[in-house]
Amino acid sequence: MTDPKLVNLTIEGRAVSVPDGTTILEAAKTAGVLIPHYCYHPGLEIAGVCRMCLVEVEKWPKLAPSCATTAADGQVVHVYSQKALDARKGVLELLLINHPLDCPICDQAGECELQDYTFQEGRADSRYREPKRFTPAEDFGGDVMYVTNRCILCTRCVRFMGDVAGDEALCVEERGDRARIGIAPDHDLTHPWAANVIDLCPVGALVSKDFLNKARAWELDRTASICPNCSQGCNITLETRDADVVRMKPRSNADVNQYYLCDEGRLNYQWINRDDRLETPVVAGQLASWEAALSAAGAALKGGAAHVVASASLSNEALWLLKQAAGTGKFRVTKGAEAPLPGVKDLALRADRAPNATGAERLGFSRADQPLAGAGKVVVIAGDDCDGLDTAALAAAQSVIVVGTVAPKGLPANAILLPVANFAEEEGTFTNLRGRTQRFLQARPAPGLARASWMALAGLVAAAGKAGAYDSAEAVFAAMAKSEAAFSGMSYDSLGLKGQMAAGAGVNA
Amino acid sequence: MAITTRVVDRPVDESSYIRATFQGLALSFKHLVDPHKVTVQYPEEKWDIGPRWRGTHRMLTTEDGTAKCVACGLCPTVCPANCIKLVPGEDAEGNRYPLVFDIDEFRCIFCGYCQEVCPEEAIHLGRHYENAEYERKDFIYDLKRLTSQTHPVCEMWDPADPRGE
Repeated sequence: MTDPKLVNLTIEGRAVSVPDGTTILEAAKTAGVLIPHYCYHPGLEIAGVCRMCLVEVEKWPKLAPSCATTAADGQVVHVYSQKALDARKGVLELLLINHPLDCPICDQAGECELQDYTFQEGRADSRYREPKRFTPAEDFGGDVMYVTNRCILCTRCVRFMGDVAGDEALCVEERGDRARIGIAPDHDLTHPWAANVIDLCPVGALVSKDFLNKARAWELDRTASICPNCSQGCNITLETRDADVVRMKPRSNADVNQYYLCDEGRLNYQWINRDDRLETPVVAGQLASWEAALSAAGAALKGGAAHVVASASLSNEALWLLKQAAGTGKFRVTKGAEAPLPGVKDLALRADRAPNATGAERLGFSRADQPLAGAGKVVVIAGDDCDGLDTAALAAAQSVIVVGTVAPKGLPANAILLPVANFAEEEGTFTNLRGRTQRFLQARPAPGLARASWMALAGLVAAAGKAGAYDSAEAVFAAMAKSEAAFSGMSYDSLGLKGQMAAGAGVNA
Repeated sequence: MAITTRVVDRPVDESSYIRATFQGLALSFKHLVDPHKVTVQYPEEKWDIGPRWRGTHRMLTTEDGTAKCVACGLCPTVCPANCIKLVPGEDAEGNRYPLVFDIDEFRCIFCGYCQEVCPEEAIHLGRHYENAEYERKDFIYDLKRLTSQTHPVCEMWDPADPRGE
């Protein structure tokens, strides 16, 4: 790649060098100045319809919309000059003419750009005395509800559906103060990626029906994580309220999912909060302490070669420790329909509905439709993907060790159950289908005595008399990076929150 | 060292108890006939408490008897004592309303922020001080209790003098 030509300009007194072709708005971001904007979104075509990003450029006769103005050499940009502030205050006042003041019942309150910018730069009151326009809310289908009154017509949703999702379902209907977002006849927002319009909407006009009236934005704790619902490995933010996950939002990663997350991924989170979890170790039907359960499991592992059934939902750390304790084995992956997002390169809801099939394969585990088939005397089942399997194979086993979040059905009476945390309750890494290893962090506490899966399996490694002692997920990863070629040179620090490709692999995931 | 005492003769008009006794009786008699009374005959009589008295809460209701609260979550957010538990829900018409609205009056410090922040003028502190209960759990006021109480509510500020000047 050749070096792009740089242009030098001054924004708010700060000298900025950006590649030629960058807009003033993006250039200002590099100078640490966020110019207020509604219609502009880095993932969408530039529209320049909201007029919120007006800034003053010296020697220009008029204010410039910074989202649609290319930065040029020698420009001197004033974002907070009186002229620019007055213009943006006027824009806000006009936007608020018909915008209802229902922030107390609006789901967007607390993360609303209209609220934020009005608070920063808007008028304290309105000079408009006429009654506000009222139009009832409309169900757009899928997970999307359209609250017409709150719409500021930035058209981000229209551009997303048309340009990125490739389904021209939305348009701007009517004119003047009756203008609103309309849905094309016989269309609804059931496109597999349509719910992204909720994230794109800067105000509370497009809201999630699933999240409606559930929690306020400021009550939520946010944790960086990885979507566990397919092998794409979209970066997400798990948003929790009182330790319950209430929604999943995309977290931008230019190499994986840009700014987007599919509907199936974002709506499949309820299982994280399920309360019928395995909370205490069980040995032969009796509740047991961790020490007793681990020593029983260790003794069982010494009784012969283990048949290992793994899960592609386990982290790399857990799978590697499983391999240390009992050897590699087989895993099953649930399949589903692929659903690509046409506007983004190499982004789709993938057929493998598990986050870490690639990681499991790189660690030496192999796919099988019936991973339990051929079970021997000692069986180790790690993960929860074995529900619905033919458990007849287990009847012959002398000992069965289950490392899972819930107790599977059809276990023999002498089974040893070790309760572990699910992905939202522990730290770890997943490797997506392009080989990008990405970290996820702990968002909620594990129930009862359940341990993080790396911790439970590290205990199993020790109980089985194998070498290695680990006191954190990071230590497990460091040891794994030393012994496994697929992870060589990686560490939690080098992964960061955007992930890293295996050495020697391509750059883009 | 031995302790010695010295008795000093005092004039009889200073040391006589008879004069003091009559002085005291005179004061008592004066109070018997004087109509000025300070003691309030509680509970038959009650003090008038100030308009800005901040006592236990009330939730005001709309004409149809349901709470005015729209479960916006501002009061649990602003509450410095963390005593309000709110779970929002949605009714049949899609309106937001509180499924659970519990105030722990033991934790409450009666600062009045909840009343001040409420955009619907729903939650109010009460001009009320008789709060005794038989059980500790009864001090966690639920929505039913908050809406059914009828005592007068606090005026956060005097409408005639909103700045308190």
